[in-house]
Amino acid sequence: MTHETVPSGTRRHFLKGATALAGGLLATPFLSRRAFAEPVELTMLAWYGHAEPDVVAAFEAENNVKFKPKYYTGGDNMLGLIAQSPPGTFDVILSDAEYVQQLNAAGYIEELDPADYRFDEYFPEFQQFPGHWQDGKLYSVLTRFGFLGVAYNTDAITEQEASTYNVYWSEKLTGKVGHFDWHLPNLGQISLLQGNPSPYDIDEDAWDALQEKMLTLRPQIGGFFDYGGTFSSLQNGQMLAMAGIGDWITGTLERNGAKVRSVIPEEGGLQWTESFSIGKGTAKADLAKKWIQYITSAQGQVKSANMVAYPALIPNKAGWELLAKETPEEAKRQGMLLDQPNNAVEMIRQGRIQYRQLPVQQSLEDWNDFWSDYKGS
Amino acid sequence: MTDINEPGLGAGPALPRREPLGQVRAGGARMRKTVSVYGLTFSLPMLVWQLVFFLAPLLFLIALSFWTVRNFRMEPDFNPDNWARMLGRSVFWEAYLRTLTLSTAAAIVTSALAFPASYAIAFKLSETARRWAIFLMVIPFFTSYLVRVYSWQIFLSDNGIINSALAEVGLGPFAMLNSTFGTMVGYLTLCLPLVILLQLFSLVFVDRNLVEAAHNLRCGRLRTVFEVVVPAARVGLTIAALFCFILTFGDFVSPLYLGGGDPPTLSILITDTTKSGQQWPRAAVVALVMIATLLVIAFAAVRFAYKERGR
Amino acid sequence: MNRSAPIDWGLRAYVGLTFAFVFAPIAASFVFSFNVDRFPSLPLGGFSLTWYQQVAADPLVWEGLRNTLIVGVTVAVLATALGFGAAYTDFRYKFFGKSLYLALALLPPTIPVVILGLAMLAFLSNIGLSGGVHSIVIAHVVMCAPFAMAIIRLRLSQMDPSLEAAAWNLGASQWVAMRHVILPFCRPAIFAALFITMAVSFDEFAVSWFVSGLNETLPVKVLGFLQGQVSPKINVIGTFVFLTSMTLVILAQVLLMKRSAGRASGQ
Repeated sequence: MTHETVPSGTRRHFLKGATALAGGLLATPFLSRRAFAEPVELTMLAWYGHAEPDVVAAFEAENNVKFKPKYYTGGDNMLGLIAQSPPGTFDVILSDAEYVQQLNAAGYIEELDPADYRFDEYFPEFQQFPGHWQDGKLYSVLTRFGFLGVAYNTDAITEQEASTYNVYWSEKLTGKVGHFDWHLPNLGQISLLQGNPSPYDIDEDAWDALQEKMLTLRPQIGGFFDYGGTFSSLQNGQMLAMAGIGDWITGTLERNGAKVRSVIPEEGGLQWTESFSIGKGTAKADLAKKWIQYITSAQGQVKSANMVAYPALIPNKAGWELLAKETPEEAKRQGMLLDQPNNAVEMIRQGRIQYRQLPVQQSLEDWNDFWSDYKGS
Repeated sequence: MTDINEPGLGAGPALPRREPLGQVRAGGARMRKTVSVYGLTFSLPMLVWQLVFFLAPLLFLIALSFWTVRNFRMEPDFNPDNWARMLGRSVFWEAYLRTLTLSTAAAIVTSALAFPASYAIAFKLSETARRWAIFLMVIPFFTSYLVRVYSWQIFLSDNGIINSALAEVGLGPFAMLNSTFGTMVGYLTLCLPLVILLQLFSLVFVDRNLVEAAHNLRCGRLRTVFEVVVPAARVGLTIAALFCFILTFGDFVSPLYLGGGDPPTLSILITDTTKSGQQWPRAAVVALVMIATLLVIAFAAVRFAYKERGR
Repeated sequence: MNRSAPIDWGLRAYVGLTFAFVFAPIAASFVFSFNVDRFPSLPLGGFSLTWYQQVAADPLVWEGLRNTLIVGVTVAVLATALGFGAAYTDFRYKFFGKSLYLALALLPPTIPVVILGLAMLAFLSNIGLSGGVHSIVIAHVVMCAPFAMAIIRLRLSQMDPSLEAAAWNLGASQWVAMRHVILPFCRPAIFAALFITMAVSFDEFAVSWFVSGLNETLPVKVLGFLQGQVSPKINVIGTFVFLTSMTLVILAQVLLMKRSAGRASGQ
């Protein structure tokens, strides 16, 4: 047979060439990103979307950095992951304020120097935000926040009807109210409805009353949803109202044409905050610091506010000004125009917003245990 | 037609022939008196692998259930409080019973729904058609279970494909999502291909002579199926049902995305428990109870499957 | 023979129905991957290839796919080998501690994956083997070998045990008997085990999320999309995986048909 007469050298050569070609084809998406000198890799542990090109591309290009994200889907999984990973695995960590406290208590984040960051550009309310500081020391820099209220389908109920948490009990919503499956925001909302001035700092009696009130809501509930489930349920109309969420979900849906909105009811709304910290034991503390400085600068803040994964409000006043210039529509929609009568900061100043935080007088377990009981009831 | 070289089950009662690993066997082949290399080559790898990579995590899990959580950090401890607390909660037992019932129902329903299909593929299709059927049934394994469950939402929601089609004929809408029905559809998506294949595996090798003998003795079709074919394929049918039970017992995707997390199963309870501020120890308690349950059921099922046909 | 045409056709139709049920979500996913709207809705928004472009342009998705393939193939081979050994041991031998051996071999699928993920991560990071593709291989072999063992054991139960003894009595050594009697008999089960363990590994996301650290596999990515950014990208990946497996399966089918045809003509 003629095959045998092909000299082995040529065959090897051919194989090498073919492999190189195949490898090149497979690597094409890589090559387009790593054109020149090897960029420095920075690992980020965060909610989905924080390391996507719309947020990080400018920073990556300017500093020859490549982000390697690890996205988590729940703060508790995130903590479990950090707890069991070798120290220094994650350079920057994005987490909600409640988890910063837990991260710090367990010793997973580095102490930061406030002088490095632009707190002077922040609104005064955010300069010493509780939860991110411990005994006067800074551990995490607040980068974005948002409000939680009543999320509803605009075809089913009016804004007027949605302006009170009592709408959840409305007869026309039976079986059509959903819960975002996390106890903290849901119990907080009902706590506000009960009139507790500080929804997470309640005594035994108030806690018992809260549980009783909550249980009366159970027959109205159609389901308990995680992030993906919340999106689908609201979007396809399976649920007409959702408790425990805010613009961070409805804003994204609105952008894609869904008929949903979030409104802060008269009883008040809750505030979630996200912040960046530096992982303990990281080898790239300087670069991590640079990133935090970028994302808290005006340009970075604008990117954060317009993040494709989910929008947010920003704490940097200079960022508001830049946002009004670059994307005035979005600034108006979120309530971030300085001359708007009821813009986000105004709402906080009017006392209509309470910070979401870990329960003070009960343990986190008490609240979570009740939530499980509530689900099973 | 089965290969003539392949022995059928009609070759006489299957004698248990378990010999000790280390003894000499009578019979002309050259045997070593000590533990044979041959035997060890096959038995050791699995043992070593599981001892090294599985036993340690398993022991860690058991130890973890006794740890305490302080300052959101898990600390080694010997604290039986986790067990007392978890086993003392009615939520736990309700979820336990619920999951047990759901998984049993899933195993029965899936086996029942799969049987006509696997029977048809084994007995009523030509060799080529059967091969295609098997290959087509394997494909869903390789498509993401998550994506398939996510896609079912489009079908089952109130404005979804099924309800829209039914609306054309003036029926419905039926609430299929966020209910036990939805969870069952999800479980079927998870298990049906596997159950069909495993049932098929046993049915295909049932000796056709047995079936023909029954027919010659004027046994009705249905009776033949239940008194000849099913017992002959008992192993495959039981193992298939067992797999279905095990898979659905621990699954959290279907109850969450199609069942609306309402009411919660044990798997959902585990995820929920960790939200109590790193309460992995309590979650470990739930996990260990699940493991023990499944072990008992698995052993019982395997015993039943492989027991000697009392004749 | 009791043959009844209507019943036969009824059964065949039932098979068709079953296939329809199993493939319906896959078909829907395929259709919606072209939907210009980000969220699935009826009627369809419009035809668009933008999601395919986005997925193809994301290097992390390609990396995930590469990791998934490497892990899948490695796990399939290792798990089937281990499973075969264990099934044969159970079939042929009895020894002290056999129940424990079986328990150890069959235990992994009973453990809820979220907890198993944490436990494996805790263990692997303590011995320095976490955070890489090898970590996923280790964890998946632990999880998949029991499946392989169950399938091969099932097949072995269909074998007449005196066959092996007959081979020995005719002068074959144990190894030869293994090669010429047991293995050929088990061949369909071995193939099935290879496929099924590969499939289980292919789709496993919970344990992988924990132990893979920053080197994620495709199912972990899908989980991330599902829980972080709901969009037709999920459908795109699902469709892509489906088409790949379809191709592989058709190839295997063609190869097998060729071989059996060759064998038939060669005789």
